[in-house]
Amino acid sequence: MNAISQLYRRFNTLRGRRVFILPTRFGVLYGGFLLLILLAAINYSNSLGHILCFLLASMGQLAIHYTYRNMAKIELLGAYSEPCFLGQAIPFYCRFDNPSRHDCLHLHVASKQSNERSWNPFKNVTGFQYQPHQTVDVLTGQQTTAHCITVPSTHRGQQTIGQIRLSTRFPFGLFDTWTYFTPACAALVYPNPIGHLPLPSSTNDGQSHHGIQRKGVDDFSGLQPYRDGDPMHAIAWKAMARDDVLRTKQFSSSLSGQFVLSWHATASLTDTESRLSQLCRWVLDSESHGLAYGLVLPNMTIEVDRGNAHQQRCLTALALYD
Amino acid sequence: MPSDTSLIWLILSLNLAALPHFSYQPLWVALLFLSMMSWRSLAIWQHWPLPGRQHRTLSLVQWVVAAGAGLLMLDSYGNFIGRDAGTALLIVMVGLKVVEIRNHRDYYISCFLGYFLVVTNFLYSQSIPIAALMLVIIILMTSCLISLNDIKQVLSKMAQLKLASKMLLQAIPLMLILFVLFPRIAGPLWGLPQDAHTAQTGISNSMSLGKISELIQSDAVAFRVKFDQTMPAGHELYWRGPVLWNTDGTTWRELTLPSHSEPRPPIISTTGQPSIYTVTLEPHNEHWLFALDVPTVFPTSFGASLAYGGELLSRKPIKQRTQYQLSSNTRFSMNPDTDHYLNEALILPKGFHPRTRALAEEWRQKAKSPEDIIDMALNHFNQQPFYYTLTPPALTGDTIDGFLFESGKGFCEHYAASFTVLMRAAGIPTRVVTGYQGGEINPVDGYLVVRQRDAHAWTEVWLQDRGWVRIDPTAAVSQDRIELGMSELLPNALRAPLFFSQSEQLIDIWQQLRNNWDAVNNAWNRSILAYGPELQKSFLSKLGMINPNWQSMAITLFAAFSLILLITSAVLLYPRREPDPVVATYQQFCQRFVKLGLVARYAHEGPIDFARRMTHALPHYQTDIGHITAQYISLRYDQSVSSIAEFKHSVKHFKPNK
Repeated sequence: MNAISQLYRRFNTLRGRRVFILPTRFGVLYGGFLLLILLAAINYSNSLGHILCFLLASMGQLAIHYTYRNMAKIELLGAYSEPCFLGQAIPFYCRFDNPSRHDCLHLHVASKQSNERSWNPFKNVTGFQYQPHQTVDVLTGQQTTAHCITVPSTHRGQQTIGQIRLSTRFPFGLFDTWTYFTPACAALVYPNPIGHLPLPSSTNDGQSHHGIQRKGVDDFSGLQPYRDGDPMHAIAWKAMARDDVLRTKQFSSSLSGQFVLSWHATASLTDTESRLSQLCRWVLDSESHGLAYGLVLPNMTIEVDRGNAHQQRCLTALALYD
Repeated sequence: MPSDTSLIWLILSLNLAALPHFSYQPLWVALLFLSMMSWRSLAIWQHWPLPGRQHRTLSLVQWVVAAGAGLLMLDSYGNFIGRDAGTALLIVMVGLKVVEIRNHRDYYISCFLGYFLVVTNFLYSQSIPIAALMLVIIILMTSCLISLNDIKQVLSKMAQLKLASKMLLQAIPLMLILFVLFPRIAGPLWGLPQDAHTAQTGISNSMSLGKISELIQSDAVAFRVKFDQTMPAGHELYWRGPVLWNTDGTTWRELTLPSHSEPRPPIISTTGQPSIYTVTLEPHNEHWLFALDVPTVFPTSFGASLAYGGELLSRKPIKQRTQYQLSSNTRFSMNPDTDHYLNEALILPKGFHPRTRALAEEWRQKAKSPEDIIDMALNHFNQQPFYYTLTPPALTGDTIDGFLFESGKGFCEHYAASFTVLMRAAGIPTRVVTGYQGGEINPVDGYLVVRQRDAHAWTEVWLQDRGWVRIDPTAAVSQDRIELGMSELLPNALRAPLFFSQSEQLIDIWQQLRNNWDAVNNAWNRSILAYGPELQKSFLSKLGMINPNWQSMAITLFAAFSLILLITSAVLLYPRREPDPVVATYQQFCQRFVKLGLVARYAHEGPIDFARRMTHALPHYQTDIGHITAQYISLRYDQSVSSIAEFKHSVKHFKPNK
């Protein structure tokens, strides 16, 4: 048994991706009209009526090939995503490759929304649980292009893109051809940044970091060339307008304003998710105010720091907390 | 909601598809259709309101229009079925549907109705121009479908039309296979409505003076004939149609037999070689099948039988183009001993034609035999001032007397009728035969084409021991009509249309064009329009299919279908690898040296090494080789912006010789 399933799997690999094709309801209607035309032609012994019927039937048969060709060769090379907050839509960037010489037009990209199965087997075929996201107007021949799919975020932490359904009805709309991709791509979903507790002040954090002189927000101390990760609000835009060089304003401050955002400070909230949301809100607020902060969770501690990289580290810790 | 562009193109295509119908549909159908189309167009351009949720009154208006159309339809046709009424219904439906196109489904239905409009056009005419127009409409309609699915109109209209035409061309092989092999069923499947076939002009079953001369205006083909061997001489080509016996003094009609008597076909005896020929008869909605005089061998397939006058009749009226093979002798005798209906051929209405009767009586007293009387009559026509004219003056009063003693100007039916009256008055049984005389050989395909203008009337007299003998009094007046044929006698204005009738050369050109066009039409009729169950069987037998029945056709069709499917998928889906143009051009460059007998580039040899070796062999071309190699390297290995066109150009002009 195992050998057979292995063989079957190997056969599937050799055969390539499965591409499905079925007539749409308009395709069925088209067939009905052809039958009518044939009946009229037979009844009136009309030769050109026969020719018309056969010509349209032949074009319908070609439509199968054209519709299939409009999608069959397309590959999903990969997908990448950007992290987002719970409640927001996750952008997944899918890189589609069209290796054929023809442009492929009007493809619909949908992603699987739930694993629920309907009692109606046709619904699974027609893809009811695939929510359409985007129409790709054109995939130029022999080119790779990235297209963004937005998927609503459902839970905090890692969210995979799931199954992608690529379908097309071009050129006639008489046939619907589709295929599935399952790219290995997961997006990080941060907690929803809501919470009304005030930002904890530096005095009640219980720890002190006296004596360490660090660059801060308090006093302007000079300009330095821009480096990746420098916050946007610190860029010297006016200086850039002069000579087109990105510089970052440097401030000197003592870390007197630094504090730690602690899991315990949210004790008034009972729910884990609300506590994480509150912490998330605080992280964002502190960063936007240019404050230095640390994060303490029951299972991990992040030292006091600031900057984009630090913020991301904190948000990731919040996202993956369990 | 379909885009405006696709809607406009749909409206255009539907208008074009409905256009040929407007010539015979009642005016209100055209008006209703065009106003509905204009409404939709104005909704697109001027943002006129359309019926729908926002404008319930307009929906009401539409319902009222639909109901009114139904009433008008009942008024015009009395029902909704049948060819004319069905087409009217379809046109009205398309018009109303276009106004209420709101979503893709409506658009699809309109498109499919458009395809159906095409088929209704074929019910009226299957000529080549209509077929060409319909082909254009199919392309337009298909491009509408593409346009609907091309939601953002990524393709230009030109590209959509090109794609539609390409698909149409690619569809032709399978269409041909289906056309040849799809088992044909002899229609009709259900009773055809009365109006299934368009009324045709042609010879009718009665003759009155001045009636046949109307036909000379018509250039339409009556039938075409293909002779197997030699064709009889032009003056022997008498195509027998209805034979007329009864007259009321002005109109001649077929013999009305008492209902209980059985028709007796004539007894024919022939001498000499028969001519075998095939007639392709255009539909004329009557029973007679035209034959070269009296056929001796005729098909029984459509219930053909010889009537008592020697004319060939089919059981059903000829409503479609019909083909039949016949064999005739130009030398024959019909009923030489006696004829059952001889008395009928002697009756003249009482109190008519007194002067003609007097003349006939005079001749009978002078003559020794019936032959003498016939000669006297023909001499009378020949020597007295009688004229053969295509535009005879209108006669009042006793038309035969008026023609014989006053006007003296007449067409064939004048001569045939008055001759018959003369003979009957003199006691010789005589009848009028109508049909066609002559015809033109089309040099392009060798078919004899007989047109409506070749319509003719002649007479037959019955003589003891000789039977019915053909006498053509028209020949006594105008030998040319019989010897040269009708077309030579026609005035220029009737021989060719306006522009071409100006000079003899132009008429020749016109006739040549017409011959070619006619040959094309004939081939079209014979091979495409006539392709039905019988022709399919004979064609497939010719192709080598033994006993073609629907089972064997279905099997062959299935096999051919699979083969075509395989070929189309191979052509459309096989990945064709196109080499990189830069590499291909460089390979051309390397090939130039091989032609000079130099050793080809080694597999391990890079372009620089190769260039060095070639420069060593051909020092004159050092700069060229260096230049091309540099271009190649920069195009291939460098991200620089060297132009491929320039590289191709320099390789193209690099022609080394030793």
